Amino acid sequence: MNIKLTINGESHEVEIKPGDTLLKTLRGLGYYGVKHGCETGECGACTVLIDSKPVNACLFSSAQAVGHSAVTIESVGEHPEQGWKRSPGLHPIQDAFVESGAIQCGYCTPAMVLAAKSLLDSNPNPSDDEIREVFSGILCRCTGYKKPVQAVLRTAAAARGEEIDPTDGMIPASPEWLGGDGDPSSGLEEPLTGIETGEVIAPTRVMPKIQVTPETEAWQKVGKPEKKVDAVKLVQGKPAFAADFDRRGLLYAKVLHSPLAHAKIKSIDKSKAESLPGVAAVLTWQDIPRVVYSTAGQSDPIPGPLDSFSLDNKVRFVGDRVAFVAAESEEIAIQALDLIDVKYDPLESILDPSDALKPGAPILHDEPEYVNFAESDPARNLAAEIRIDIGDVEVGFSDADHIFEQEYEVPKVQQAHIEPHVSVTYWDEDDRLVIFTSTQVPFHARRQLAPVLGLPIKRIRVIKPRIGGGFGGKQEVLSEDVAAHLTIATGRPVIYEYTREEEFIAARSRHPMRIRMKTGVKSDGTITANGMYALSDTGAYGSHALTVTGNTGHKAMALYVGDGEYRQSPNIQFHADIVYTNHPPSGAYRGYGVPQGFWAVERHMEKIANQLGIDPIEFRMKNSLREGELQPFSTAWSEGREPSPETIETCGLDECVQQGRAAIGWDQKHGDQDWHLIPGKPHLRKGIGVALVMQGTAIPYLDMGGASIKMNDDASFNLLVGATDLGTGSDTVLAQMAAEILGVKVEDIIIYSSDTDFTPFDKGAYASSTTYISGAAVIKAAEEAAKRIQVRAANMFNEEAESPTTNAEDVRLADSKAIAPDGRTIPLADIGLETLHHKDQEQIMGTGSFVSPVAPPPFAAQFAEVTVDIETGQVVVDKLVMAVDSGVIVNPITASGQVEGGMTQALGYAVSEEMVYDSDGKARETNLQDYHIFQAHEMPDLTTIFVETFEPSHPFGVKAVAEIPIDGVAPAVGNAVFDAVGVNVDANPITPEKVWRELKNKR
Amino acid sequence: MIVEYFRPKDIKETLDLIKSPEIKTLIMGGGTSIDRYANEPFAVVDLQDLGLNSIKAKGKTLEIGATVSLQALFEHPDIEPDLKVSIRMERALNLRQVATVAGTLIASGGRSPFSTVMLALDASIALEPGDENIALGDLLLFREEKLETRLVTRISIPLNAQLAYEYIARTPADVPIVCAAVARWPSGRTRVTLGGTGGAPVLAMDGPDGGGEEISAADAYSRAGDEWASSDYRQEMAQLLVKRCLAKLSN
Repeated sequence: MNIKLTINGESHEVEIKPGDTLLKTLRGLGYYGVKHGCETGECGACTVLIDSKPVNACLFSSAQAVGHSAVTIESVGEHPEQGWKRSPGLHPIQDAFVESGAIQCGYCTPAMVLAAKSLLDSNPNPSDDEIREVFSGILCRCTGYKKPVQAVLRTAAAARGEEIDPTDGMIPASPEWLGGDGDPSSGLEEPLTGIETGEVIAPTRVMPKIQVTPETEAWQKVGKPEKKVDAVKLVQGKPAFAADFDRRGLLYAKVLHSPLAHAKIKSIDKSKAESLPGVAAVLTWQDIPRVVYSTAGQSDPIPGPLDSFSLDNKVRFVGDRVAFVAAESEEIAIQALDLIDVKYDPLESILDPSDALKPGAPILHDEPEYVNFAESDPARNLAAEIRIDIGDVEVGFSDADHIFEQEYEVPKVQQAHIEPHVSVTYWDEDDRLVIFTSTQVPFHARRQLAPVLGLPIKRIRVIKPRIGGGFGGKQEVLSEDVAAHLTIATGRPVIYEYTREEEFIAARSRHPMRIRMKTGVKSDGTITANGMYALSDTGAYGSHALTVTGNTGHKAMALYVGDGEYRQSPNIQFHADIVYTNHPPSGAYRGYGVPQGFWAVERHMEKIANQLGIDPIEFRMKNSLREGELQPFSTAWSEGREPSPETIETCGLDECVQQGRAAIGWDQKHGDQDWHLIPGKPHLRKGIGVALVMQGTAIPYLDMGGASIKMNDDASFNLLVGATDLGTGSDTVLAQMAAEILGVKVEDIIIYSSDTDFTPFDKGAYASSTTYISGAAVIKAAEEAAKRIQVRAANMFNEEAESPTTNAEDVRLADSKAIAPDGRTIPLADIGLETLHHKDQEQIMGTGSFVSPVAPPPFAAQFAEVTVDIETGQVVVDKLVMAVDSGVIVNPITASGQVEGGMTQALGYAVSEEMVYDSDGKARETNLQDYHIFQAHEMPDLTTIFVETFEPSHPFGVKAVAEIPIDGVAPAVGNAVFDAVGVNVDANPITPEKVWRELKNKR
Repeated sequence: MIVEYFRPKDIKETLDLIKSPEIKTLIMGGGTSIDRYANEPFAVVDLQDLGLNSIKAKGKTLEIGATVSLQALFEHPDIEPDLKVSIRMERALNLRQVATVAGTLIASGGRSPFSTVMLALDASIALEPGDENIALGDLLLFREEKLETRLVTRISIPLNAQLAYEYIARTPADVPIVCAAVARWPSGRTRVTLGGTGGAPVLAMDGPDGGGEEISAADAYSRAGDEWASSDYRQEMAQLLVKRCLAKLSN
C-alpha cells in the first residue's frame, strides 16, 4: 500500500506492506537512529516521537502513523562543524548527554534524547522522578540511568539560567571527605545552592568522588573527564552499528531452532521452503562442511573443548540450530522456516546438572570429531574439571575451632545487551569475505571462522563497528557463521540479526552453579582453611566452561587467605566440575565466573562473622589479601596455561572500606536496632550489608593488544587499535593516553577500532583488559612517535641561529607544542608540515604492543541498604555504594559510568534476574517483560567512590574497572536482608517468596 | 502476518470489516498486543478515526472511550490514585501512550494490574452491534465468543467507589507475582479481585457489604501455583494483600 508519512516535518510517500512497522519503514528510509532491540515494545530503543509523545516504533504500524507527525533523532541537532555551512550544533540535551557521560554504548541514546526532548518541551522544570518516568519505557543496560537523568537535569538547569556544576575539573579529595550518612560532605547527590538566588537547584554534579594519587597531578589528559570520543555521533543516532550498514541486494537470514531439548534429526525436508518465492537459500547440516569448533572467542589454542558445529544432525537444547534460511525479506524468511519439515528422534535429556555425571546418564557429545581440552571428558558429560589445592585444607580444618559448611546456588542470567547479536556478510570486489559484526573479539572471530567457512584467514576481513553493549555476550562467535554460510551459498550480502527471543533461547548466559563452601576458623576469627566446590552447568556446549569457572575460584577464593601464619601459607581448595546439560549454553558474562564465587564467599563470610559474634567488616579485613602478598592462585592456575607467581603490588581495600562505610553511614546504622525499624510501618525492616570483592586485570602472559599511530599535517594523529570498545569508553581512554604522551588535545587523536585488515591485533574486549593492556600498547606507540617528534623539533630548534643546542630528549611535548628547555616553542602542526612536506620528509609514526606478566587485581567494598517486608518477603534495595581501587582512573566520568551500570546489572542478579526452564527444557523467560531488568523509575540511589592507587606494572598506574562492580552487589544485598530480618537466602535472586519461606521457617 | 490494513470512519464500516468472511480480521486499538510475526495472514482494523478516544464523567460513572490510551486515562483528574498505580504498573510510558484501555483489557492475562483493578471496579463494557453492556468479568472469561465480530466502544467505571490496590513483585516496577484490588461502594458493596497468575484476574468476592474478604481471597487463590510462585505463597499473600487493601480503605 502507498502511504504518506510526515517525518521530521517532511512529507514522504512510501510503498509499504500493511504489516510493516514504523521501525522498519523509518530504517528503510534511512532513519537509522531508530534502533531495533526487541519486537515487543519493552526495550524502547526504537522510540520516536509521534505527535510529540514517545512511542515505540517496533509496535506502531507505518499505516497507523498516517496523519500524525513523526520525529526521529535525525531532526535533533547536528555536528557543530559543517565546513562552510553554518551549523546550529547539537541540541542542548545532546550537549548535556555528551558532557555528562550519559552515553555508553549509545544504542538507547537517541531514544533517551527524544524522550527527554518530549518532556522538556512540555515541562521545563522536571523533577528527578519525572525524568525517570519519561525514561521508564527505555531500557539501558550500560549506565544505570544516573547520568542520563543528570544530563536532563543539567539541560533544564542551564535553560533556567542556573549555573551548573562543571564537568571539566578534577575534584581531588582527601580523607576529609569521610563522613557519615546524611553529612552533606559525604553525599554525591546533595542539592547545590543557587549561585545567585540562594535557592536549591537541581543536583547536576556528574563527577564521582576520587582520592587521587600524587603521581597523576601533573598530567593533562589522563585523569580528566574528557568527553567520549564517539559521543557526538552516538547522540545523533548516526548509522554506526552493524545493522545500520545497508548493502544492495541484502538477504535476510533466519534460523530454525530446535523445539526439543535433546534429539537426533532423522530427516529434514526443505523442498517446500526452497520453493517459496523470495527464498534464496535453505541450509541444513547436510549442506555445509562438518567442522568442529568452539564458539568461545578466545586466544589460540582455545582453552576448552571443540564441541560445536555450525549445523549438526543432533540438537542439544531447545533453541539449538536446525537450519538457516536466507530470503528477500524477513517475513519471507520467517514463512520459510515454517515450511521446513524436520523429523526428530527424541533422546533422554539432562536438565539437572547433578544428573550429568551419574553413571548411565545420556551423553550429549558422542560425536567422533569432539576435541578434548585438558580434563574434559564427553563420555562423562564433563566439559571441564578443576582441582586446585593450595596448602592443605585438611590441615587447616584440623587447626580450626569452628567449621562452617553451607551450600549456595546462583542462577543462569542473561547479558541482555540492548543491541542484539547482528552480522552482515558480503563478498568484496576481491572476493574476500567481509563480516561486519557486533563482536567483542574481531580477531578471534576471523581466526575461528576460517576453518568453519573453508576460507584461509587472509581471505576474511572482520569489521567491528560501534557495539550496542556486549557484557561478554559478544565474546562468542554466534551470528557470524550463519550469515557467512548463507553469503557463500548465495553469493549475496546477508544480514542475520537475533530477535530478543533468540537472545534468550539461543545466545549465551552466565553459568549457573551450585557451590559448597567449607571454612575453618579459629575463635578469634582467623581463617585457617577455605574450600569451595562448584558444580557448574555449561549447558549444551562447553564454551568458556573451564575459564569462567576457573575464575570463580581464582578471584573469589583468593580474597581471604587467613591471618597470621596463614597469610604466608594459606590453605585453599577449589574444585569444580563443569558439566554438559540440555540447557542453552552458558558463556562469558561480565565478571566471568567471579560474581558466582563471591555470592557464595561473601554470604558465607557474613554468616561466619555473625556466628562468631565478630563485626563483619573487621572479620573480613582480618583475613583479606594485602599489599605485598602473593595472589594465592597465581602459582596454581592460569586459565588453562602455565601459572606464574604474582605479588599484589597495590591494594586499596582498607581505604575502600573506610570511604564506603562512611558514605553509607555504616557506623550509624549497623547494630542500631532503632534504625532498622520504620515508624508507622511495623511490617517493614531496614537492613545494611557489605561485600568485599576483587577481580583481575587481563590474563597474564596471554592477552596482547597492539596499536599504531601516525602524525598528520595538522598535528592530529590517527590511532589505530584492535581493541574493541563495546560502549565502555575504551576508545576514549586510549585516546587520552595517547594525547597525554603526545601533548595534544584528545580531539586531535582520531581513534579507529577495529578492522582486522587495518588495525593491529588485539585479543578483544574481555577480562577487564583494554585500559591496561591496549592502553600500554597505545602508550608505547605514542612514545615512539613522540621520540621522532622530539628529534625533529630539536633539529628545528637547532637550526635557529645563535640558539643554544637542544637535545631531543629535553624537548617537552605539551599544549600541542614542542617546548625547548629555554622556553622556545614550535607548534606541533609546524613539525607535521616540516616532516611531511618541507625537509627530510618522513612519516612520523609509532607502533606498540603489550602483554603483561601480571594481572593486578582491583579491589572494592560494596554496600547495600534494603527495606524488607516481613509479611510478604519483598525486598526493595534503597541504596548501593561502591568504593573501588581500580588504580589510576583515566576518565572519572566514563569509569563511574562503568561502576553505576555494573551495579545496576548486579542489582538484577540480586533480586530479579534468572532464567528458568520447565521439565522439557523450555525457557520461561523469552522477553524483557518476564526477564525483568531494572528500569529508570525503580532504581536505588547509586554512589561511586574511587580510591586511587598507582599500579607499578602500568605506565599510568591503571587497573581494571569494568567487571568488579558486578561482583559484590548481590551478596551485599543478601547480607543486608540478613541484617534486616535475620534470615539467609542462599540462592539468588532474592525473590519475595524465598525470603517469606525463610521467615516462616524461622518462626 | 498482517496482510491488510483498514482505517474505517464509523462503527458500521468497522463492523462490516470485522465480519468479513474472506480473511481473519482483528481489531487494532493501539496495536501493542498484536502478534505481527504470526505466520497466519490476517487483516487489521485500526480504530483511531472512530472518535472513541474521549473520557466523560456522567453522574457517578466515568465513561472511557475504547481507544483512550492508558496514558490519557492515567492523566485524568477524576480517577482513583490506585487506579493510576495499576496503570503505571501495567506498562511503561512509551507503551501507555499507544496502548488503549479496551485493547489492554481484552489482551490482558492474569498478571495484569490494570485488569485486576478494573475487574474490582466492575467495569462495564459496551459492545456494538446492539449497544450491549457486559461486565468485564463476563467478558474476560469468554473473550473469544463474546468479541467475535463485535466491537468494544466504551468502558464504564464507577466514580463513587473507593479503590485500593496492593501488589508483590521482585522489583518495584516488575510484573506482579500476586496483586489484589478491593473496591467498595457507598452502599457497602465490596468487590475483591486477585491477579498475578493465569489467563485472567479472578473475582474473589462481590458482596453487598463487607466481611469475609480475606477468606474469599484465600479460597480464590487456593490453587494458584505456577512457574512464578507456589500455591501456598500466593494463597497467603492474597489474603494479606486484601487485608492491606481493606486497611487502606479504612484510612
